[in-house]
Amino acid sequence: MENKLVNIEIDGENLEVEAGTSILDAAKMLNKNIPTLCYLEEKNLIGSCRICLVEIENTDKLAASCITPVSDGLKIKTNSSRVRKNRKMNLEFLLSDHNIECPSCISNESCELREIAEEFGVREVRFEGKKSSYKMDESTPSIFRDPEKCILCRRCESVCSDIQSVEAVQVFGRGFETVIKPSFYDNLADSPCVLCGQCTLVCPTGALREKEYINEVWQALDDPEKHVIVQTAPAVRVALSEAFSGKSGEICTEKMVTALRKLGFDKVFDTNFTADLTIIEEANELIERVEQGGKLPLFTSCSPGWINFIEEYYPDYLDNLSSCKSPQQMFGALAHSYYLDNAEVEEKDLVVVSIMPCTAKKFEAQRDEMAGDVDYVLTTRELAQMIKEAGFSFENLEDGNFDQLMGNSTGAAAIFASTGGVMEAAIRTAYEKITGEELKEVNIESVRGFDQIKKATVNIGGLEVKAAVAHGLSNARKVFEMIEEGEVFHFIEFMACPGGCLGGGGQPLFADKEVLNNRMKAIYEIDENKQIRKSHENPDIKKLYDNYLDHPGSELAHKLLHTEYQPKRF
Amino acid sequence: MLNIKELESIQKDLYNEYSDIKKDRIIIGMGTCGIAAGAEEILTAVKKEIKKLGLNNLEISITGCLGICAEEPIMEIRTDNKRFIYGNLNPEKARAVLKSHLVEGNIINRWLIDQNSDFFNKQERIVLRNCGNINPENIEETIANSGYLGLAETLKNFSPAEVIKIIKDAKLRGRGGAGFPTGLKWEIAAKSNDREKYVICNADEGDPGAFMDRSILEGDPHRLLEGMAIAGYAIGASIGFIYCRAEYPLAIKRLKNAIKEAEEMGLLGENILESGYDFKINIRLGAGAFVCGEETSLIASIEGKRGEPRSKPPFPVESGLFGKATVINNVETLSNVPEIMRNGSEWFKSIGTEASPGTKVFALAGKIKTNGLVEVPMGTTPGEIIFDICGGLEKDAEFKAAQTGGPSGGCIPIEHLNVPIDYDSLKELGTIMGSGGLIVMDEQTCMVDLAKYFIDFCKDESCGQCTSCRIGTTRMLEILEKISEGRGEKKDIDLLLEMGEVIKDSSFCGLGQSAPNPVLSTIRYFKDEYLDHIENHHCDSSVCASLFTSPCQNACPANVDIPLYIDSIRQGDYKRAYQIIQSENPLVLVCGRVCYNLCENACNRDGIDESLAIRELKRFASDYLLKDEGGFPIPEVEAEIDKKIAIIGSGPSGLTAAFYLRKKGYQVTIFEAETEVGGMLALGIPEYRLPKDLLNEEIGVLTAMGVEIVVNTKVGEDILIEDLREEGFWAVYMAVGAQKDRQLNIEGSEGVEGYYSALDVLKDLNQGHEFDFKDKKISVIGGGNAAIDTARNMIRLGADEVNIIYRRSKSDMPAHKDEIKEAEYEKVNIYSQLNPHRIHSENNKVIKLECSKVKGGKFDKSGRRKPVEIEDSKVMIDTDIVISAVGQEVEEYFNNGKFEVKLTNDNLIKTEEDFSTNIDWIFAGGDCVSGPSTVVESIQQGKKAASEIDKYLGGNGIVVNKEEVERIISGPILEEQKSRIKMPTILLSERKRGFKEVEKGYSLDQAVEEASRCLRCDVKEKEEVI
Repeated sequence: MENKLVNIEIDGENLEVEAGTSILDAAKMLNKNIPTLCYLEEKNLIGSCRICLVEIENTDKLAASCITPVSDGLKIKTNSSRVRKNRKMNLEFLLSDHNIECPSCISNESCELREIAEEFGVREVRFEGKKSSYKMDESTPSIFRDPEKCILCRRCESVCSDIQSVEAVQVFGRGFETVIKPSFYDNLADSPCVLCGQCTLVCPTGALREKEYINEVWQALDDPEKHVIVQTAPAVRVALSEAFSGKSGEICTEKMVTALRKLGFDKVFDTNFTADLTIIEEANELIERVEQGGKLPLFTSCSPGWINFIEEYYPDYLDNLSSCKSPQQMFGALAHSYYLDNAEVEEKDLVVVSIMPCTAKKFEAQRDEMAGDVDYVLTTRELAQMIKEAGFSFENLEDGNFDQLMGNSTGAAAIFASTGGVMEAAIRTAYEKITGEELKEVNIESVRGFDQIKKATVNIGGLEVKAAVAHGLSNARKVFEMIEEGEVFHFIEFMACPGGCLGGGGQPLFADKEVLNNRMKAIYEIDENKQIRKSHENPDIKKLYDNYLDHPGSELAHKLLHTEYQPKRF
Repeated sequence: MLNIKELESIQKDLYNEYSDIKKDRIIIGMGTCGIAAGAEEILTAVKKEIKKLGLNNLEISITGCLGICAEEPIMEIRTDNKRFIYGNLNPEKARAVLKSHLVEGNIINRWLIDQNSDFFNKQERIVLRNCGNINPENIEETIANSGYLGLAETLKNFSPAEVIKIIKDAKLRGRGGAGFPTGLKWEIAAKSNDREKYVICNADEGDPGAFMDRSILEGDPHRLLEGMAIAGYAIGASIGFIYCRAEYPLAIKRLKNAIKEAEEMGLLGENILESGYDFKINIRLGAGAFVCGEETSLIASIEGKRGEPRSKPPFPVESGLFGKATVINNVETLSNVPEIMRNGSEWFKSIGTEASPGTKVFALAGKIKTNGLVEVPMGTTPGEIIFDICGGLEKDAEFKAAQTGGPSGGCIPIEHLNVPIDYDSLKELGTIMGSGGLIVMDEQTCMVDLAKYFIDFCKDESCGQCTSCRIGTTRMLEILEKISEGRGEKKDIDLLLEMGEVIKDSSFCGLGQSAPNPVLSTIRYFKDEYLDHIENHHCDSSVCASLFTSPCQNACPANVDIPLYIDSIRQGDYKRAYQIIQSENPLVLVCGRVCYNLCENACNRDGIDESLAIRELKRFASDYLLKDEGGFPIPEVEAEIDKKIAIIGSGPSGLTAAFYLRKKGYQVTIFEAETEVGGMLALGIPEYRLPKDLLNEEIGVLTAMGVEIVVNTKVGEDILIEDLREEGFWAVYMAVGAQKDRQLNIEGSEGVEGYYSALDVLKDLNQGHEFDFKDKKISVIGGGNAAIDTARNMIRLGADEVNIIYRRSKSDMPAHKDEIKEAEYEKVNIYSQLNPHRIHSENNKVIKLECSKVKGGKFDKSGRRKPVEIEDSKVMIDTDIVISAVGQEVEEYFNNGKFEVKLTNDNLIKTEEDFSTNIDWIFAGGDCVSGPSTVVESIQQGKKAASEIDKYLGGNGIVVNKEEVERIISGPILEEQKSRIKMPTILLSERKRGFKEVEKGYSLDQAVEEASRCLRCDVKEKEEVI
């Protein structure tokens, strides 16, 4: 049944295609792009916007091509006057209930509604009348919600419930009063939202986006009294250039460093440095737990969306969580201690900024446990915005290098950006630490790639270490089901976002599968090209321990680099 | 636990028990309709009374809805194996019935519901057969009436495939509205390999005005359960769900009870009737979302999800509830199944039409006389349902349209009353069958408002998923609101049409796909009404409140500010009252006597008790001024204008035009052919309705203003139009009326003694001619006001017998209803549905009128049945005098000169919108342009013509100077019920003695009392004022 081929006709052209293919996909095979708005490949198939309508001969209604499967003999018109009339009026309907403020809208450039209105040549909206009126939700430090710009495509709802299994936002009400809002709560801050920002990646308009801190950062940079240092997360360097060249998979680490310097940051450091540090501390913790019979499996703790998730949904497992802070927060802690010790800067003048692929990091930086270490978190998108605003041509920037002290990193740190990367980096270090032998095959393919849940068993000195990797929170839930069904693991990497940080909620928009894949390739390329690919071999990390922290898990290390999390109740 | 044989055998026993002559019972109708009307109080009263009467052995039972909801509460007494059904009861009446019927043995006929009336006789009841007949809470009664025998036969005789074949052969189509072939649906589901399959009964009846399913659920729940069990057997399902709206608590209670009863007897559950077939039925409650009537939303709702549709394919028959093959049928569809299984597909196909066999249940609501439920064969026409079965419209109002299919449907206008109702014909008319709601509307329904109502409903019920339905319906409503508030533009109609098409085309599910239907359908059939709102800011039905000050004023052709003058009467300022009327209508006294008060039809007071006696109050004001204030106020003439205007004819239209033109300052002369002034007011309207001396008092106002009236001057004979031109008249207004009787052309009428035309008789009588009609038998032919006036005059002349002979049915008579009532009170006989053929005479004297009987044929464009003669149905009426009153036309004598004023094909003067004729300085209006109409309509025309003539002569066209008035409440608004004060009239004996005015007029107290009933709809912010 699945593979049965059928013959159809689209706008007079014949096509043989697998039965069950959507009309939209079939048309693509004939190089016809049917416009869509609510559709999101594999993620949102509800056909609610009524833009992708096509005419099917001998039926009296139009069909949404994104959700209508082809069947044998179907004759389809994708561009009849009836089709155009319907699409255009539906667009007019949407625009008539949209808070149109394009020039000042955060999504001005990325708005699919604006783009499609231009494609259709909508020059007039003939409808006046009431408009949906809702308050802006700015309750979280990460994401804002502006329902007046929502077109109810419900991509956010699908992503939040199907991919993240969080169900923080849902559709409520009926008819014109229908609205997407936090389930049973007035604002996101009170809801189970984990702030992963996946919804901001898919929102076609400016209804869901990251909360910007650009102005605050400009202000700090402009203040001669302030000493502003910046750290950049591993995933930013493989995605930032998309905002300028439109090409994905480019590694732009050096240009990014130059850009940051030109923006006026006093020091440009690398979160990869603290990623290496995280590995040392976490590997140490794993070894301790294995050897001393601590709580297992050990869960990674780098992803703040994941932290929010476990606090809300699986608080009973909080003891499984590694006590390591995330690399961002380790950096923040070191900036206020190690860095100050080595620089002529007073703490009151220090401003720590992070560039992250993540919206939840904004929240993490403000958590009670760690507040004050990192002042402002900008997403990859915000950094691109600043570079554009500054007006320099990113592609023509000269290469630059991170500042010393906290700028050197290994290949192991680079792969933190990808799902499986933390696991791979940890194994590289744990293996050598436990066995004292050199790990010959550094690449651990079994934890790489986009498979939803990846498992690996690694023999480390006779111990069969069982590892699992989950990315996307619905997959995290599945892992919990496995655990509850009795499956034994020693170490599990959880990342809130599909693909890991490279698919983070703060990354450039419009990342389809291909873009994510290119980002991942670039990540592993950085790793391949590094001479040092194991965190414990990072000479600056060694220096840090030698000169400052003493040894992994030391008292000072605990004070600066570790934390605890509490259950969050509703 | 029964097996099939046992079921068949107990059925016979139970049949005997429940049909046994000795089983006397009292049965109270306890459907929701009955309970709402007070059946519970009846039940309590009956129980008490039975005890009191010592009839303790008499069983008291309940039943569901009989269909005649208009007559609820209903009590049936079943004695001597006969059914006596008493309707419209209250506890007191119920006690009286019990005593009289059961103790004294006297049946109270006048309270009985006639079981042989058309309401019952013209129905064909399959699914409603048991409703109102059996006790729905006692399975034994169901079984006695063959319940579950269809299931038994199915299990005994047919394989599932055979069941499907029978249903397919029967061509049963989905009664939920779409009409999908039920058998085909079952067949597809049966083919599915799913291990578990489901049968869902859609009982989420949500259309406003539809209550078919509820009545079946409440009145005969087992029929549905049986149908579902058969469906389950056919497709291989063992679980069924009834998705019933939570707003039907009684239905749910009875369903639950029925399921329990059936399970206990082994008719549902495991191993049904020992056949090995298991089928269990669960009830799921809907939370009141209309969209959950859509099958995929319904499934989502049962699954515990938000009630939203999903795309099809896959269809529920392939992948439905929990992803399994699922058949969803509506209550009525499934309720047909047991009968089809018992009686076979051929039997079913013998009912209804070929493409849509069987019956359809309709729920009649709106302005219908007998609202309730009827079941008729498919192919029955709306005319038959509305007029034959349900007795036509409430208050004999005029039919305007009927809405089928509820908010998803459209309207059937008057011209389609003959269309046989089935799925396909209704679709052609732009509506749908829907689940069977039929809302009847009269002239008081505004179609823009109706469209607004339904789109508002759909807008609220839209699930909000798809753009077109979510936003489109709101935008449509907003445009309709704009139109109904007088802010509409002509292009809005095109926009609505375009939106309607797009929303239908684009929407996800049936809700959106059909939501624009009421808008599209009302635009299709009532576009002029939309245009009237847009261009004239006028709502003819007095519904769109922003377009008028008060509904009564809006309905008055002369635009009289009624609430204001009524308030003046209440305040004791009768002169002001008169002046308020006079400013818009110079013939106050006249209209106070003869106006057919269209205003009263629009009166909001009617919704509380009775409409206000507006005409009577108007009359009071004029009477009071004459009697107590020495006469009528003479309006001031504005600055004199040295231009002469001739008005031909002194009827209401001519007088009105003269009044307004003179008031403007023109030099006005009226030329009247007769000696009497007033045209039809003087010559047509009988003395007993409008005494001539009073008429002349009002005409005196005009002469006092300086209008010259020249009598006995017939233009065309005594003076020619060109003479008027030569005499210096700047403009001429022809208001010559329609003074010639239309010829009856009846055999034997020529030259015979005793044959008259009505207008001649009326004129002669008014001019003092004496007829010797004493003790004569008189036949007046016609059904209009002239016929009634003539007949009532004949009574006063001492005729022995006065008959009115009319072709159509009495309710179709164009004469004013009150006049007909008065005529009948005065013993005029009305013979309707008789067509006169020939006058028989002896010695050249009329002796007999030969007529044929007539029956109602198809409905014509006026919404009345066409008279069709019945062959060989001769009727002879003994008569001495025949008077023909079959309509009037224009007499063309005025064209005798040089100028020829052009006429239409109907022999009326042809005019443009500005009342001008083919000759630019000659204007025309009134009956000679419109044909015979009412006095107030002639006044309206005279006023408008005066304005046009003023404009023609260089004026501004403003003939009524509107004052700004502050509208405030001057006394308490009476909101409790209070009937209107009846107009005092003279006795019948006095009427027979002569032409004395019949109505006596209100006393001062009566007038003030009546005036205080006014609700003051003109004051918009009542709350604040009070």
